[in-house]
Amino acid sequence: MRLERLPPEMAKRLGELECPNFTTTPWVAGPPLKDRRVAIVSSAGLTVRGDRVFRGRDADYRAIPSATQANDLLCSHISINFDRNGFQEDWNVVFPLDRLNELAAEGTIGSVAATHYSFMGATDPLQMVDGAKEVAGRLKADNVDAVLLTSV
Amino acid sequence: MSALGHYLEEEGISTVAIALIRKQAEHTRPPRALWVPFELGRPIGPPSEAAFQTRVILAALGLLEAPKQASLIVDFPDDDPREALDPKWRPPIASAAAPEGPAEIAEAVEAELRALAAAYAASCTARERSTVGVSGLPPVACGEYLAAWLRGKRPASPVADMSLALALRFAIDDLKAFALEAALRAGTKPSSKQLGDWLWNVTALGAALQVLRQNCLAGDDERLKAVAAFFVPALRVPAG
Repeated sequence: MRLERLPPEMAKRLGELECPNFTTTPWVAGPPLKDRRVAIVSSAGLTVRGDRVFRGRDADYRAIPSATQANDLLCSHISINFDRNGFQEDWNVVFPLDRLNELAAEGTIGSVAATHYSFMGATDPLQMVDGAKEVAGRLKADNVDAVLLTSV
Repeated sequence: MSALGHYLEEEGISTVAIALIRKQAEHTRPPRALWVPFELGRPIGPPSEAAFQTRVILAALGLLEAPKQASLIVDFPDDDPREALDPKWRPPIASAAAPEGPAEIAEAVEAELRALAAAYAASCTARERSTVGVSGLPPVACGEYLAAWLRGKRPASPVADMSLALALRFAIDDLKAFALEAALRAGTKPSSKQLGDWLWNVTALGAALQVLRQNCLAGDDERLKAVAAFFVPALRVPAG
């Protein structure tokens, strides 16, 4: 987002939003991209139709199986100040599963995870720690070694 | 989102974040991030532009092969081509005269939702999907619920496990999705500004949500005051 295109007050608020101040800088190396198993982790408040929608600043997460159809993915993010039209037209704008499947089919990446995950991005990140650790365990059990994090 | 990257990396999984707000990424210092210049809500860029989306994803995933460093933030160079207005796009229905009183607005919203139904159905068929559904109610029931509020009633929640305020918020989310999806007409590429200008400046639904927001904010129910903040985007709230 080019913040200079927003009204100054909104740009200032977004730019100065309080963020965690981490003292460590973890960095995990891995195999070449062609051998990686990739998952999507989104902060868009995505849920599979029929699952519990995010009702506020929930700190937990939702699982999204790779077999999910586009018609079954909903967005219940608490903020209404970001564009929804892109997602409404094409889910890949937020959840690029079709693109990852294409990259796997052509051999650019190794494979696509069996399950992807979503959090509610408006939640205090410090409250997401437990959920993130749980997701990490599930990703490792699925042999995932690369995560594409998509925010909104 | 950049914080999630930090947490997952600490657990031993490589991550790359697509960051929409560069300053936030700079503060959080994720292991790897691709900053993209697209509008909020579009981390992968333009809808229905597969080649462009793939370029964004490859630019991000490519950072996984970069040598180790404290925090790597790289800028994606290209803007979203769908920011441009599409002169071929037209609203899905003809605009009607603006209603004035709350009861008239309620009636106009219900009529408008009926008029949009065919365009919505065609759009769903073309896209093979809908994002309507967060309230769990069909669009007609969402419209009836909104109309009852506009008529000054205080209807009970139509959703078993939701408060009336939460049900109202999600019903409104569904109605906005219903109208905006109806406006996605095959063969056109409207920008979000075109669609937003139509919803908020032309439709009875947009007018109704402005009125209901004002009513809830002026009332003394704190739950409704809180939920009213989620009816109209900040950029569409009239100044003053």
